[in-house]
Amino acid sequence: MEKPRFDHSDLLLGLFLIAVALGSLFATRHLTFGTAADMGPGYMPRVIAAGIFGFGLYFTVKGLIAPAHRIEPVKLRPLIGILASVAIFALLVVKAGLALASLATIIVAGFASSETRPIENILFGTVLAAAGVMLFVKALSLPVPIWPW
Amino acid sequence: MELFDNLLLGFSTALQLNNLLYCLIGVFIGTAIGVLPGIGPIPTVALLLPFTYGLEPASSIILLAGIFYGAQYGGSTTAILVNVPGETSSVITCLDGHQMARQGKAGTALAIAAISSFFAGTVATVVIALLSVPLSVLALKFTAVEYFSLLVLGLFAAVILAHGSLMRALAMVLLGLLLGLIGIDVSSGAARMTFGIPELSDGLDFVPVAMGLFGLGEIIANLERPAEERSSIPQGVHGLMPRWADLKAAFPAMVRGTAIGSIMGVLPGGGAALPPFTAYAVEKKIARDPSRFGKGAIEGVASPEAANNAGAQTSFIPLLTLGIPANALMALMIGALMIQGIQPGPQIMHDQPALVWGVIASMWTGNLMLLIINLPLIGLWVAMLKIPYRLLFPAIALFCCIGTYGIANSTFNIWLMLGCAAVGYFFIKVRVEPAPLLLGLVLGPQLEENFRRAMLLADGDFTVFVSRPISAVLLGTVVVLLLALASPAVFRKRKEALVE
Repeated sequence: MEKPRFDHSDLLLGLFLIAVALGSLFATRHLTFGTAADMGPGYMPRVIAAGIFGFGLYFTVKGLIAPAHRIEPVKLRPLIGILASVAIFALLVVKAGLALASLATIIVAGFASSETRPIENILFGTVLAAAGVMLFVKALSLPVPIWPW
Repeated sequence: MELFDNLLLGFSTALQLNNLLYCLIGVFIGTAIGVLPGIGPIPTVALLLPFTYGLEPASSIILLAGIFYGAQYGGSTTAILVNVPGETSSVITCLDGHQMARQGKAGTALAIAAISSFFAGTVATVVIALLSVPLSVLALKFTAVEYFSLLVLGLFAAVILAHGSLMRALAMVLLGLLLGLIGIDVSSGAARMTFGIPELSDGLDFVPVAMGLFGLGEIIANLERPAEERSSIPQGVHGLMPRWADLKAAFPAMVRGTAIGSIMGVLPGGGAALPPFTAYAVEKKIARDPSRFGKGAIEGVASPEAANNAGAQTSFIPLLTLGIPANALMALMIGALMIQGIQPGPQIMHDQPALVWGVIASMWTGNLMLLIINLPLIGLWVAMLKIPYRLLFPAIALFCCIGTYGIANSTFNIWLMLGCAAVGYFFIKVRVEPAPLLLGLVLGPQLEENFRRAMLLADGDFTVFVSRPISAVLLGTVVVLLLALASPAVFRKRKEALVE
């Protein structure tokens, strides 16, 4: 086991904030800054981004000098499972309709946990897809196709 | 007698049959999600927002408000029966409530919790009614300068009184403010940080952000924990009628909890989470025999339960009178108002009296409904607790997807939610509380608009914020709060209260 160094949660947060600040400074580089009496569209974004940059530096330095502290290890299964279930909904809902998209989302989400029982999950997904269609399309009249055809 | 006229107007709105129905739906959903650990009022309100579009403004706020205070009732049920807080605000109820349940007094604990909540809800309704008029009169004197200072105070106070590290919370507020700037700049028409994506020109929708950060991020983190920490099956509940002696023992604690909750709820940054901790600490301090606490002391249930309910309700005061949200949930309420085409702000009480007073009156009818639906339906809530998490989490994920899509029928919002889910998970990993971000996101555009207007009026002179009296007092409060926080005694206290 290598010895842990740095406070990882502070360090990661700091780097994240710095990245966001630099990204937004880059994205707003063409906007006029203006003066305090007559602010341009670039005034507030740059002031706030500078503030975020400052916090980013603070956390990065704090993370480097603080006693070692590791973040809990990331488990990929729940992370990928949930994100993939959302992605499949986004990909399917317009083309394949709400019913199939819902079922697919439930099935994919099931992979996020080792406790999932496959058959129960598919049955549950079917019931939920039907309930979702009834609730959102029939009762709340959400304008979304139900079936791919 | 203006107060009675106002309350009369309120009750005539709240007692309309459809509003009673929406109130019932709200408190029922609220109780249900309160009972279920792992889903809180923020994603639920976010999820239901798109569907309040077709309702009357008053009905939609009555419905959404019911979810918030209903969740406080439901959260305590889970805390008492399973020793898992259904909501953060009921963490403290686990301590003594679950001990009472273990001693076979689950029924008494549940009844005391419900009665304390009802008592607090009733008192808090009166407090809101009494405070609203003077505050809204004051609010009408506000110009852009005062409004900017008020927003700054609101943001700082929210951060200071929230959980966790102050620096992290401040960083989150700034991040939220930055995200709030995305979109077309109103004054110049320039696109800011839209990266050429047309969906972003109207700004970030906060519903996908809220659902990603709070709903989905939480699910991913929950699934990482071992299963034993999540589940446990409650036994049957008997003896729901509390004995006279129990009521007598609990009543003074109920009153103290209500007072603490009402005061802490009104403060910007208030809400339901912090008051119960304070109330519990006070009870323990003044008790003749503090060692009873943690072993089933009835005061340890009554006082925090009263405090969280009172706090949940009085946190509506800044929203209803000044138009600024005290916490992330109130920020969503602002969203609900804007969906209805109502611009929240100091003029809201003047322009929409039926709405404001109707919502206030509905809190009392809602609390009465909660008392009635909670105790006799306890069997239903226990049954809900038996739904395993393996079924619950895919269902929540699906409803988040459908709800997000429903706001604007755009798949872009689903992708945005996906990104926010990943960021929300990252935040949990690095121990960041995302609530201040949501507050910043909602307040960002208003903050910028008022700042620019104030600077334009003052010709770029920054001293205008301290030379005008109301603004100076507001900003002075920010400084006092920060100084108080820096003083070692308060710092220790705050840490203690948050650790417990």
